[in-house]
Amino acid sequence: MTTETTTQATAPLLGRGNRKQARRNALIGWSFILPNFLGFLAFTLIPVLAAFALSFMEWDSFSAPKWVGLENFQRMLGSDSFWIALRNTLLYALGHVPLTMGLALVLAMLLNRKLKGIGFFRVAIFFPYITSLVAVAVVWNMLFSPETGPINQFLQTVGVANPPGWTSSSDWALPAVIITSVWRDMGYYMILYLAGLQAVPAELYEAAEVDGANAWQRFWNVTIPSLRPTTFFVLVMLTVSSFKVFDLIVVMTDGGPGRSTTVLSQLIYQEGIGEGKFGYSSAISLVLFLIVLTVTVLQFKIQQRRER
Amino acid sequence: MKRRTLTAIALALSAGFGLSACAGAAGPADNAGAQDGKTTLSVSVWNYEGTPEFKALFDAYEAANPGINIEPVDILADDYPQKVTTMLAGGDTTDVLTMKNVIDYSRYANNGQLQEINDVVDTVGKDKLAGIDAFDLDGKYFAAPYRQDFWLLYYNKDMFKAAGIADPTDLTWDQYADIAKKLSTTKDGKKVYGTYQHTWRSVVQAISAAQNDADQNSGEYGFMKDQYNTALDLQTSGATLPYGTAKSQKTSYRTMFETGQAAMMPMGTWYIAGILEAKKAGKTDVNWGLAPMPQKTADGEITTFGSPTAFAVNKNAKHSDEAKKFIQWAAGAEGAKAISAIGVVPALQDASVTEAYFTLDGMATDELSKKAFSPDKTALEMPVSDKSAATDTILNQEHDLIMVGEKSVDDAITEMDKRVKKEVLNQ
Amino acid sequence: MTNMAEKLKAEAPLLGTELTTGRRGPGSPQKSGRLRHKTREQKSRTINIVVYGVLVVLVFALLVPFFWMISSSLKENNQVLTVPIQWIPQEFVWSNYTEIWTRIPMMGYLQNSLYLAVIITCLQVLTGSLAAYGFSKVRFPGRDVLFLAYIGTIAVPWQAYMVPQYIMMQQLGLTNSFTSLILLQAFGAFGVFLMRQYYMTIPDELCEAARIDGLSEYGIWARVILPLSKPALASLALLTFVNTWNDYMGPFIYLTSNRLWTVQLGLRSFVGQFDAEYAMIMTGSVISVVPILIIFLIGQRYFIQGIATSGMKG
Repeated sequence: MTTETTTQATAPLLGRGNRKQARRNALIGWSFILPNFLGFLAFTLIPVLAAFALSFMEWDSFSAPKWVGLENFQRMLGSDSFWIALRNTLLYALGHVPLTMGLALVLAMLLNRKLKGIGFFRVAIFFPYITSLVAVAVVWNMLFSPETGPINQFLQTVGVANPPGWTSSSDWALPAVIITSVWRDMGYYMILYLAGLQAVPAELYEAAEVDGANAWQRFWNVTIPSLRPTTFFVLVMLTVSSFKVFDLIVVMTDGGPGRSTTVLSQLIYQEGIGEGKFGYSSAISLVLFLIVLTVTVLQFKIQQRRER
Repeated sequence: MKRRTLTAIALALSAGFGLSACAGAAGPADNAGAQDGKTTLSVSVWNYEGTPEFKALFDAYEAANPGINIEPVDILADDYPQKVTTMLAGGDTTDVLTMKNVIDYSRYANNGQLQEINDVVDTVGKDKLAGIDAFDLDGKYFAAPYRQDFWLLYYNKDMFKAAGIADPTDLTWDQYADIAKKLSTTKDGKKVYGTYQHTWRSVVQAISAAQNDADQNSGEYGFMKDQYNTALDLQTSGATLPYGTAKSQKTSYRTMFETGQAAMMPMGTWYIAGILEAKKAGKTDVNWGLAPMPQKTADGEITTFGSPTAFAVNKNAKHSDEAKKFIQWAAGAEGAKAISAIGVVPALQDASVTEAYFTLDGMATDELSKKAFSPDKTALEMPVSDKSAATDTILNQEHDLIMVGEKSVDDAITEMDKRVKKEVLNQ
Repeated sequence: MTNMAEKLKAEAPLLGTELTTGRRGPGSPQKSGRLRHKTREQKSRTINIVVYGVLVVLVFALLVPFFWMISSSLKENNQVLTVPIQWIPQEFVWSNYTEIWTRIPMMGYLQNSLYLAVIITCLQVLTGSLAAYGFSKVRFPGRDVLFLAYIGTIAVPWQAYMVPQYIMMQQLGLTNSFTSLILLQAFGAFGVFLMRQYYMTIPDELCEAARIDGLSEYGIWARVILPLSKPALASLALLTFVNTWNDYMGPFIYLTSNRLWTVQLGLRSFVGQFDAEYAMIMTGSVISVVPILIIFLIGQRYFIQGIATSGMKG
């Protein structure tokens, strides 16, 4: 697995191929990484590995763990709840990732300019992310209310005869949650894009303009390629956070109606700390981890191919 | 510029770490350890500020036992069991653990996290403690209940009077539904509902299990059918706030009752303390009364459901003996007196305690309220079993589907049977 | 310190073009013929008006729940969750804002939150940007595998490993202290990943030039890379601060003593076993947004000034 550094820019360091130099490089590299790595190893990596090990055991958090092999995985594959949660998680990610990413980018472009009061607008767009989740849930549920909500009233005036039931319907609860979460998260990712946009050299725009490129071409040929590292970051973080979504769903629908919006991390929480089946919940999280890892590696490869 | 920033960061960090030695700005440091030779007994509680019964108990106990200093371990009510589970997994040494519900009790007790306290239970008297049966695990008791909440019907006396309807004595569910429909009107452009059935599944499921003498872990849920039909009928006829709205708007049952938006409300006895407090603070002027829960048939027998709250001794407790002494006191007459003084229903059943309860300032004192207060039978809200947690999840999900109208009662009950049998009972 | 970067650019004129900045994007005035300049300005003015229009509508849509939050914070508790929703309080209960300071030790909670958020943010930014340099500008065996391990752990939900983590902390005797939370949250992979991706956009030729100039790797990091990555540092600091400030589950599990509680825990203490005081919760939520606002208004300035201050005028 190589990162894009190899294809992208990394310039050869002094005297590459020289063994002594290589060792020096490793030392230097590690010295940069070490302060963070020590903390990461001790307090994140080891517990994560412990959790993975638990997925092959039965453990109630009180007595000693008991080795059960693949039993947890077998149980998982035979459980409807798991498949439903997996389906919901995937659907959620499919809706949430592209929408949030697109909107975040558009917003960042809009806000990356010197305007009077731009600070206010940037803050305002970040606001959904810092608004109390209860407020978000109550207000959006009101907006989505099937009979009296403004959204359905609007849909009826534009001629939709049978507007959806949103959060009180099994089919529409997930889209409703996705809409709310996109609304909430786009400001967060906008910040990341805004930072990324600062690294796009203005000269590239000027050069493109001299070549007669219109705004769209400039966007497509200058902005997008320059933002590639940021986009990769946003994409991975968004994918990961979509697969881990928890708080918003708990507050907004609590997985309902029925199981129509239950997601994997809810299942992990419920089975683990809720019912004390930590082995089983670890098994689910191992699967979640593998899915996300696959998706990330895929994104990585695609990105590398584009650069070639 | 850069150097300045770095210096600032370094300064902030060193200042920060320096501070962390005396960190914690939200109160005085824990005075752990012996203070004036006192023994410090730690007790896990939820929402200490908002649950006055704990303070009432602790203050009274400290006054009666000068050698003891009780230190509450305050945990948020929302995720109390999760935190206690995590703490116990880490080998926590809190002396007394409060059992929020019997499901957690069975989990901790079956896993050997609690000490057996048969002698405590025997001293207080098994026959006197309501809900004690729930704690019986093969003849062993690992906790003693000090509080017992059960369900009854709150009603708005003024609204009944205005509509010329007699107080709800000995109602059947059909009579209850009829009255609810009659009381539903529109007042000042605002809808007033005859009753408010909160979104919890117990409002339908636990009461029907209690009155049909059925087991919610059985995997057979046909007994719930009538109760669901009543609930749906109330909803479609506009006699109660629709479930979908109530759930998505996180409707507060207190708001519904205290602002006069609902004339009746089945709810637990814990709300008595809440409504007393609200009236005292002048936040509501509702003229309230208590009535027994509606029944299947009008045979004069009152069956309802409830759940006890109990204290247990941690296996790793530092002061086991003191902990047991405290529990014996709290579950006994002294503890019952302390909590009933603030409107909380003690587990100890004793005529003098009930009498004292009805002398509380602001309490509804009519005969019906008193009658409501002594049901003939109080079933357990959810059985004590290691299956209960998983069953609870399934029953919740299907309850949701019925109440929003996604599934017919029959289909959902079939699904409950199937899922509980497969996922919980492994049949 | 910024001079260093400028000097380097002057030394490497070819790179100059890539590194100089100014304001960019459509609508920013550029140097060119006077006539063109004028039409350009008109055009940018119309664009600005359109942008304003879009933004105003958008902001309204984004702030509705926040408005509800403020309105609820001015109500009696039993007036908050009414059906139908009530946008303007019947009577304004301003006393919520005075009461909350005595109902719970709000000031202390704010201090605790601030303390945690500042320390964690500083450590995250510092160690994250250091490690990111190692991951992006120094080449050594095993680097990429290690980096993948970092990204990988982000994908594991905390719910899955919080109990093993807690047991470990308990054995180290660190539970119920700020230290435990700081150790857990300050070394996350998020900062490393974010900073690394930003460093990838900084041309390596610049580091190379600095090396030729005799700077050590640490010197390059401190004097060349850091000044150039202000926008990324600002966004990392901002997002870490907000996430720490709003974190609930972490402090809930690790901070038991009431005196250590953060604002988010304090607000949840208004949630009882059977009901909740939403008026107070909303009041507290409004108050807890203020520090974030201040941090944001300071931080967002870097999104325009970022490289501009360190670049040469074009």
